[in-house]
Amino acid sequence: MTSRALPQSKEALLKSYNTRLKDDVKSMLDNFEEIVKLAKGEGDSQLSKITQCEQDTYEMQVRAANIVRAGESLMKLVSDIKQYLILNDFHSVNEAITANSQLFRSTQVDCDKKLTTLRDEMALDLYDLEEEYYTSIYK
Amino acid sequence: MSSVEISVEAPIEHQIQEIAYDGTEIYQPPLTLSENLSKCAARIDFSKTSLEDLKKEDDKKGDEDVKDPTQLQSSLWPWDSVRNKLRDAFTEICVLSDVLSIAKEKRYLVLDPVPQELQDTKPMVQVYARKKALSQAANVLMSGAERLRNTHSEQRNNRNDFHIELLRLRQNWRLKKVSNTIIGDLSYRTAGSKFMHPGTFEVTKAEEDPPSDGNSPSSSPAAGAQPPCPKANSALRVNVPSELQGVAYIKVITQKDQEDLCTANVNLMGHGQNITPQVGVWQKTLEFAQNVLFCKELFSQLAREAIQLQAPIPHVVVGNQIRATLLPGIQLIISLCHSTGQDPTPPGPINDHDHVLEHSLHQLLREVHHKNTHHPFPHPASGPLGPSKKHMLAGPMAADRHELLEMSKSQTLLEQIISQAQHIFMRKRTQYVLDTLARDVKDPQIVSHWNLMNSPTMSCVKINIVTHGYDTINRTSLVIHVKERSLKCICRDGRVMHLSYEPQELRDLILCQINQHQSACLLNLAKCMAWQVLSNSNHLGIGPVEPLGNASSCLLASPNGDRMIAVQIICDPQIDVKVYIARSPRQDFFPSPLVPGKFWEHLGGHFKEVRFDKLEGKNFLNKMEFLMASLTSSS
Repeated sequence: MTSRALPQSKEALLKSYNTRLKDDVKSMLDNFEEIVKLAKGEGDSQLSKITQCEQDTYEMQVRAANIVRAGESLMKLVSDIKQYLILNDFHSVNEAITANSQLFRSTQVDCDKKLTTLRDEMALDLYDLEEEYYTSIYK
Repeated sequence: MSSVEISVEAPIEHQIQEIAYDGTEIYQPPLTLSENLSKCAARIDFSKTSLEDLKKEDDKKGDEDVKDPTQLQSSLWPWDSVRNKLRDAFTEICVLSDVLSIAKEKRYLVLDPVPQELQDTKPMVQVYARKKALSQAANVLMSGAERLRNTHSEQRNNRNDFHIELLRLRQNWRLKKVSNTIIGDLSYRTAGSKFMHPGTFEVTKAEEDPPSDGNSPSSSPAAGAQPPCPKANSALRVNVPSELQGVAYIKVITQKDQEDLCTANVNLMGHGQNITPQVGVWQKTLEFAQNVLFCKELFSQLAREAIQLQAPIPHVVVGNQIRATLLPGIQLIISLCHSTGQDPTPPGPINDHDHVLEHSLHQLLREVHHKNTHHPFPHPASGPLGPSKKHMLAGPMAADRHELLEMSKSQTLLEQIISQAQHIFMRKRTQYVLDTLARDVKDPQIVSHWNLMNSPTMSCVKINIVTHGYDTINRTSLVIHVKERSLKCICRDGRVMHLSYEPQELRDLILCQINQHQSACLLNLAKCMAWQVLSNSNHLGIGPVEPLGNASSCLLASPNGDRMIAVQIICDPQIDVKVYIARSPRQDFFPSPLVPGKFWEHLGGHFKEVRFDKLEGKNFLNKMEFLMASLTSSS
């Protein structure tokens, strides 16, 4: 797919999908590492211990939320990629169109055949019926 | 000791500088005031600021005083040390001001308060705090994961996934993404339409509506026995522009003196009935919208043509209605009905002709679309794609101006539909005339066979006129081509007659044919009966003037020539037959002075009218046969 010469914008879009994926995964990993680091608790800071604990708690929550956000962003990315694929997959669209047109053509041929046979039968019958009708006294 | 105050004063004598060997004391000259001041000033230690320091220093002064004078003297200038110290102080002040300014600027330096040493907390408290923090973080993670899992499983379980629907939509409609929205295309532009309406719609994700979630998956696979209620089970929603919403159809009415003759409704609403079950409800919405677009395009095209066309009786375009005159007194009314209401109102009464005009209008626009995209081969390498094959051949074939003008003539949609409507009208009229004639004229039977292969503007009927029981003797047949405003009759003998749209002309023609049929049959029958045809005229120039041409007549003689039958067939509005018989020579001949010989009787003579309606026989030929037979046998 990438071997084809894609337009500039499409190329950029695909690249942006790639970077989004990497960024999100990286963000998940980084945030998780940070949480683990915080859990180790090697605070050499000058803050008081209580404050330090509060800060760590808050930071862990924020980092956990970051991980969740990255996960949802990944879901969004999946949905975006699906949408992109659906909208730009001309190969399958062409297949669908071909299948549809074949279906309709065969239906058309079918209907035409049926109509033709119906017409022929009706013509035969109608001829007799007309003959009968015009020679009868009921008209 | 503290109670006794002792004042210590400096002695009022000069200090001894040195004692000479002779014992004379050399006194140091007392310090002048300025010297004293400088000495005191030199004593100031600028590095000591606090009062305590000064006091402490006072104690030590004694020792230092010894050295100070030496320094004092060694220095070049008595104020030198003071100046040095002041300069040092000044330097320090400068540095302080610099530091302050740097700290205040906060660009290069930030000052942090240095905490005091804290009170010690127990390590277990920290562990608990950290544990609590971890569990809270874990809670956040778990709830997030739960949410993700829920959405995922919902997508998997729910058959109406947005993307699946989008894929199906994509397979049936043109979609593209414009920034953050998905825009679809309803127009027939890819099929060759040149209608200016953008015809776009927007695809959005449907909001969740929880109450319908429970029943929708169960009802949707159930073979679609009842149409699922819209928006209930579709994860996808289409927003159609407001001018394309609702239901539209084109109504065609043929009116004769304010009385409807036939009505046609072009609506493709039945078209969407057989939606395959995997296609969502949006399909119907989009099809309706596309139908509206199609009807609008059709109507605008027709209205444009109606204004441009130079008809003898100009077409009238008023609002959503086009009026065109088909034949004198007969009008074609094409109107665009567009109901934006949610419930599609069923169209009015549909006649037999509904589908014909509907289909033709539909077909005509489709044909225009088709022509716009499908240019005849070969395509020119240079030059416009538009011209037809005829035009392209015109150059090599050296067509002249007249031919080129002929080529450029093309029928517009309105002209075509008008001619089709005219044809339909003509056909109905012809049918009516033939059927009433067949009903009214009992004697020769008129059998009409409509040809099944016909075009929208041309149909064909074959008429046989036969006499019951005498089919083999004679059969008059003619073919009528029903065109748009005229009829063309082709008789068996090759005569071609062009008739106008007036029904009376056709009626007269058929009556005339009946007349001829009767006389031709009679001649043939006479031949079979071995009677002689003495004379025969299709247009008897004598007798009372008939409304329709002249009566036809023939004169027959019996095999031995003693009897004659004269037949006059009058083509009144009703076919009327008069039969006369004559006998010669009469059986009882009495010579008279006027007619001396019997042979004069052969000249023929007194014709007596036969009461033809009292004769035995089912029809004219049958009666004639009986008559001839009886006259023959009696001789």
